[in-house]
Amino acid sequence: MNAGTRGRGAIRGGLAVSAIGLLALAGVYVLALKHTPVEIRQGLAQKIFYLHAPAAWSALLAFGLVGMVSVLYLWLQDPRLDLFAASSVEVGLAFCLVMLTTGPIWAKPIWGTWWTWDPRLTLTLLLFFIFLGYLALRAALTDRSERARFSAVIGIMGLLLVPFIHISVYLFRTMHPMPILMKPSKPSLPPEMLKTLLCSFGVATLLYIGFVMVRYGLAIRQFDREEAQHES
Amino acid sequence: MSPDLTPVNGQYMEAAYIVAGAIYLLYSLSLWIRARRELKKQ
Repeated sequence: MNAGTRGRGAIRGGLAVSAIGLLALAGVYVLALKHTPVEIRQGLAQKIFYLHAPAAWSALLAFGLVGMVSVLYLWLQDPRLDLFAASSVEVGLAFCLVMLTTGPIWAKPIWGTWWTWDPRLTLTLLLFFIFLGYLALRAALTDRSERARFSAVIGIMGLLLVPFIHISVYLFRTMHPMPILMKPSKPSLPPEMLKTLLCSFGVATLLYIGFVMVRYGLAIRQFDREEAQHES
Repeated sequence: MSPDLTPVNGQYMEAAYIVAGAIYLLYSLSLWIRARRELKKQ
């Protein structure tokens, strides 16, 4: 594939996957709001769960992949790995924003407060700021290899936080509920609710794939343009 | 707990679904605009 067309396939494919993902998201809204029973103790606010948990999954998936790909970049020095990591950070921040906004909206009626400096909440906010800093750093550095190297180091630091955030509910006394799905024992959820939750996890993953494909295609094309300018 | 004692908090659910939908749509729109601009370039 030559420099003029590289990335176009990823952009087109990503747009198609994203469109399917958005349609599926609309389906999840209908499924969650109309066809999933109301939890008696929490009321309708519990249905925020079907948005909050899948957004958290996609955000942690995105940031986890950033860290792993960053390790590979430092080893292999392949610029495509750096471009993928930067793309995954941007997409991960969008999911993290959904997690950080739906969480407090859910917390207010259940905990009686929008926010508490609970370990899991605080670490998630820290992770969000680490990756905002990642993008700010990339925007500030002009030397490409320096930018990729420094970004990879931040990406690996973020990766260290990801498993810690997941197990923080076991390590500290916390108000945040324990994992319902991603735990050694069977999921503790009625079948109708579990079905909706699994669908929303699938949709969040599909959206992540679609978004990251588009973003990666854009990054590849930008890279090739800079390369061509550099050569001329 | 009987269904009568179920808390009335539907407005929080509506707010969360609107906010999440807006974030997903705005981010999709931002990607679509950037992609369209990029695909027009030779």
